[in-house]
This record gives sequence, structure tokens and C-alpha cells, in this order.
Amino acid sequence: MLLRNAEILFNDRVSPELYHMGLLCPEIAARIQPGQFLMVRVQEGFDPLLRRPFAVHRIHHNDPPTSFEMLYRVVGRGTRLLADMQAAASLNLLGPLGSGFQAPEQDGLVLMVAGGIGIAPLPHLAETLVSSGFRGPFVLWFGGKTAADLVCVKHFQDLGFAVQLVTEDGGEGLQGLVTGHLEQWLSQQDELPKVMYSCGPYPMQRLVAEMAARLSIPSQLSMEALMGCGVGACLSCSLRCRPPEGAQDPHYANVCQHGPVFDGEEIVWD
Amino acid sequence: MANDSPISLAVELGPLKLKNPVMVASGTFGYGQEYAELVPPERLGAVVVKGISLEPRSGNPPPRIWETCGGMLNSIGLQNVGLRAFLEEKLPWLRPLSVPVIVNLFGNTVEEYRELATALDGQEGIDGLEINISCPNVKAGGMTFGSDPEMAFQVVSAVRSKTNLPVITKLTPNVTDITVIAKAVEDAGTDILSLINTVAGMAVDVQTRQPRLANVVGGLSGPAIKPIALRMVWQVVQASRVPVIGLGGIVSTEDALEFLIVGAQAVQVGTANFVNPGVTLEIIDGLEDYLRQQGLADINEIIGTLEVPRGPVGIGE
Ligand SMILES: Cc1cc2nc3c(=O)[nH]c(=O)nc-3n(C[C@H](O)[C@H](O)[C@H](O)COP(=O)(O)OP(=O)(O)OC[C@H]3O[C@@H](n4cnc5c(N)ncnc54)[C@H](O)[C@@H]3O)c2cc1C
Ligand SMILES: Cc1cc2nc3c(=O)[nH]c(=O)nc-3n(C[C@H](O)[C@H](O)[C@H](O)COP(=O)(O)O)c2cc1C
Ligand code: FES
Repeated sequence: MLLRNAEILFNDRVSPELYHMGLLCPEIAARIQPGQFLMVRVQEGFDPLLRRPFAVHRIHHNDPPTSFEMLYRVVGRGTRLLADMQAAASLNLLGPLGSGFQAPEQDGLVLMVAGGIGIAPLPHLAETLVSSGFRGPFVLWFGGKTAADLVCVKHFQDLGFAVQLVTEDGGEGLQGLVTGHLEQWLSQQDELPKVMYSCGPYPMQRLVAEMAARLSIPSQLSMEALMGCGVGACLSCSLRCRPPEGAQDPHYANVCQHGPVFDGEEIVWD
Repeated sequence: MANDSPISLAVELGPLKLKNPVMVASGTFGYGQEYAELVPPERLGAVVVKGISLEPRSGNPPPRIWETCGGMLNSIGLQNVGLRAFLEEKLPWLRPLSVPVIVNLFGNTVEEYRELATALDGQEGIDGLEINISCPNVKAGGMTFGSDPEMAFQVVSAVRSKTNLPVITKLTPNVTDITVIAKAVEDAGTDILSLINTVAGMAVDVQTRQPRLANVVGGLSGPAIKPIALRMVWQVVQASRVPVIGLGGIVSTEDALEFLIVGAQAVQVGTANFVNPGVTLEIIDGLEDYLRQQGLADINEIIGTLEVPRGPVGIGE
């Protein structure tokens, strides 16, 4: 865990609500694993008070890596402040934090599912799997409200992913919700995925976990929670999970420490 | 040169001797290990661990926090690993470190406080107990121990009778006159007072018209509560004979100094750890710098030096 000031390399608006921010911070770039996250101090003062959690979107593959990107959606005060920041300014980061995605146990079909800003951590994962020799095939199901949500698709295609897009308004790809189409697609596959990686809104995550469980596919879901510290000190970021042997029920795991990536089987859904 | 003369930050709070007056507040620093990569616990005046109960507690359902203007609400629900796991899994890591470890404890009944004190007394590696009395007394219809002088007296007496460790009693600000509670727990034999715990509060989502916290109400902490905390520390310092630890909203050296000047002999830093994990180390260095600037050599020369220009002041608006 490091506490560092990173230099903002760029902060580009890529769709009405989405921004790409490039950050120069060699130590974090060299250490962070796919699915881990950073607690970002969006400004120096104390209002807004708390750091905001963000995934790493991509590492820039210079050797050794020195910089990386975040992809973020402007939803409130903190992200609005981020969006106003200019290149060359510095941003205080705490990380890498949490436990991220695990590589599949064997090569074979890898399925990634993203809903909206849930795409954020997946390119880092995809690049890591491809560069560490997994041959796939790789498939991404990516759903958004409108076509404006569907960013960085080409990047996945360049990595050899088959990308299936879904929008709620039908503006691009299939119309509806990712989970609706995915179920049908899975039922038509000869080979079941070796793993399902998923990041998106809670109801989507739940459906993905249930689908994976029905088909006995291991699932790894990146979950969200309101966070105070990001390091396991405050116990704010609890997610209800199945109690381990001998533990109490209800059992709450810290999303910031035990997660943000959870095995779908662990979670007790509301 | 005067600039290089040694500066002493050491303070003595009755039986508790600290190398500097900057401690971390319970529930905001885990069991010390969580931040150890950034904050070597040995640099701190003391580590106060997350509140411990006899049995493990699951805590409240999420959402458990909500950010407010300059503060945060929490309703963690006193989730903790319980006494046994604390002694077996958490304390062994802290024990070899040369930093005083203060165990924050709470119960649902006077009996539970007594049992905890008994179990913790004589454990190697524990240097003091901090009694959290901001908890509901299940035998008194859920009224908090800390809001009733008689119940507060009973809890502190129970702990006092079972331990020779330094006893700190942590006061809740959610009372009409905090000095009444302070005096009651002093009579019960507390060595030290710490204040304040969080200020009761709530927040509402106007879209759903639901409370932001699943528990509906929670405790406010962070810079938003500092003036309240400072005023209460000042009042308690006037009214009591035992040393006082001040906390509530401290985020900087200047904040810590305010508490020391009104008479706190040490401070605890809570929520600020989340925002700036290095804050305690910055405050320790900052206190030294301040003393140098003031031409002083000892932090005790600052404590309780509030200058009130025009005679005694009331608490009026
Ligand atoms: C592990 C993790 C990784 C994340 N990665 C990304 C990412 O890569 N890109 C991205 O756009 N967003 C990501 N998020 C969500 C992001 O943290 C929130 O959108 C952001 O905190 C909102 O801040 P705000 O001040 O703009 O919103 P406000 O609504 O004003 O924030 C108020 C409070 O709620 C918290 N909060 C609000 N929404 C969320 C949320 N969805 N999850 C957690 N806390 C929230 C804020 O941190 C703040 O404490 C991630 C969340 C988690 C838990
Ligand atoms: C997330 C959180 C958990 C806390 N847990 C405890 C606890 O277990 N026992 C206790 O006595 N106080 C607990 N507190 C209160 C703090 O120790 C402190 O009294 C309060 O937050 C005010 O200080 P601050 O403004 O510096 O945070 C907790 C506070 C927070 C924010
Ligand atoms: S955010 Fe503090 S424990 Fe997870």
C-alpha cells in the first residue's frame, strides 16, 4: 500500500459523462493487479471529506510501466471535482488496495460481463490475461443505457475479444439488458466458459452470479460499497457473505479488503 | 542553536505515560496492522484498537456510512472480532511493538463490562483500557450507559474493580451536561477521560425518502464536529480533576494544538486517518515545529494555557 502524489497526464472527456484520466505514478503502475483499486483524494481540503474508490482501467505498457488510466463516470461532487482537474496537476492516491481478479485455472473460453461504468477494471484484466499467455477464446458482453456508455470496445477487439453490445434503448447492439441476452447465448454454447468475470450494478451482478451458479461456472464479481478508509480499518464497506465455518450469521465481509472481487458463491444477495 | 535543542513531546496522564500526545481513535485505525505500511505504530503516542466485546459482533447491515458536509455518519454497529479472536489473532501482532496499546471495550450490560475487564487485566501487551460508554444498556431499555450518571458510574466501577490497568472512560457528547457524567465516572475511579465520541445524526435520500444509513441514525465524526468537541473538552477540563484526552474532528497540527491549549493532555485522531493516513505523523512533527517556533522545549508548556481575555465565560450563544 502506497500513498503517492501522481501527476495527471491527461483528463479527457470520452462521452457526455465519462472521462479518461492518465496518471503518472511508476510505483503504483508497477504493482497494481487487475481488479485492485485506489482511494483517490479528489481535492486537498476536507469537504468533500472522504477519498473515492476507483479501479485502474489500463496500465500503459512501457517497460517498466510508469503510468496508467482511470475511467470514471461523473455522478456527484467528487467526480465533478475530478472532471475539472487539468493535466500537470497532482492527485493523491492510496493503493493498490483490495484483492483483485484471479486468472482462470485453465485456458479456454473466458467470459467478461460489464454493465455501464462496470467496464472500468476489465481492460486491465483482459490485457493481463492475454499478455500472460491465455489464448481464450475471449468474449465480452457489454451493456449500457445508451451507445454513449459503450466505450473502449475497439480496445477489446484489438486484444482478440468477440464483443457483444447491448443497450437499453437499442441504440447500439441488441436491445435490453445484458443479463437477458447472455442467458440465451450461454445456452447455445458448446463450450461453457471456464470463468465469468463481471462488474456492474448490483442487480446485474446478482443475475450473473445466479446464472454462473446454475451452470457451475466459477464467477468473479467486482463489487461496490460505500467506503471510509479502503484499507480494512473502519468496517464501513460491508457486503453480506456466507459465514465461514463457525462464524456468525449474518457475516459481513469488507469489500475493500476481502474484495472488491468476490466469488459469486460467497455473496448472500438481498 | 536554539533550533536544534531537544524538544520533549512526552506527556503523563496519571498512570499512562506517552512519548507523544498523539494517539489514534478507536474504530478508525483497525488493530494497528491495517495502516502499518504507512504509519509505523511505534511512532504514535498510543494505539487505541477497535472496540471489543465479549462475543464477536456482526454489526449493522449496510449502508453503514454516509458523507456529510465536512464529516461522515457511521453506524458500523460495533462489529468486532470478539475478545477471544482479539487476544489470539490481533494482540500478538501488537504486543512486540514499543507502543502503548489501549483496548477499547464495550458491553450490553454492566456484567459484560466487568467480565471484559477481568479477561483483559494482566494480559501482556495491553497498557490501558478505554471504556466506551456510548452503548445501549439492554437491561435499561436500550438507554445508553453514557447518558445517565448512575449507569455510567456502575460501568466504570465494575471495570475499575477488576483491573489495575490505567482506565480511560470515553464520554459521549449526546448529553445535556457532559460535566455531570465526567464527575460520575471520576467518582467511580476512572484515571483518565477521553472525549468526544460521535455526535448522533442522520441523513435522508430525498429521491427514495429513505434514510442514508440502514440503521437510520448514526454517529457524526470528522472536522464538522470539532468545535463541539473542543467546547466539551474545555468544559470537562474545568470540571474534573483527572487528565483529559481530547478528540473529535482533528485533522491538523493546529486542531491538535487547540485541544492541548484548552487543557487536553493528549489527543486522538480518528476520521482524518481515512482522508490522510499520514496525518498523525504530520501532527507529531508539527507539534515539534510549533514548540520550536514558540521558543519552547516541552509540550507540557502548552497544555492548559488558554488565555481567556475577559474573565470567565458562559456557554451562551
Ligand atoms: C472498488 C470500487 C471501484 C470503483 N471503480 C470505479 C471506476 O473505475 N470508475 C468509476 O466511475 N467509478 C468507480 N467506482 C464508483 C465510484 O467510487 C463512485 O462513483 C464515486 O465514489 C462517486 O463519488 P462522487 O463524489 O462523485 O459521488 P457522490 O454520490 O457525491 O458521493 C457521495 C459518497 O458516496 C460514495 N459513492 C457514491 N457512489 C458510489 C459507488 N457507486 N460506489 C462506491 N461509493 C460510492 C462516494 O465515494 C462518497 O463517499 C468504484 C467503486 C468501488 C467501490
Ligand atoms: C467508522 C468509525 C468507527 C468507530 N468505532 C468506535 C469504537 O469501536 N469505539 C469507540 O469508542 N469509538 C468509535 N468511533 C468513534 C471515534 O473513536 C471518535 O470518537 C469519533 O470518530 C470522533 O473523532 P474524529 O472526528 O477524529 O473521528 C468510531 C468512529 C468511526 C468514524
Ligand atoms: S472501507 Fe474501511 S473497512 Fe473497507
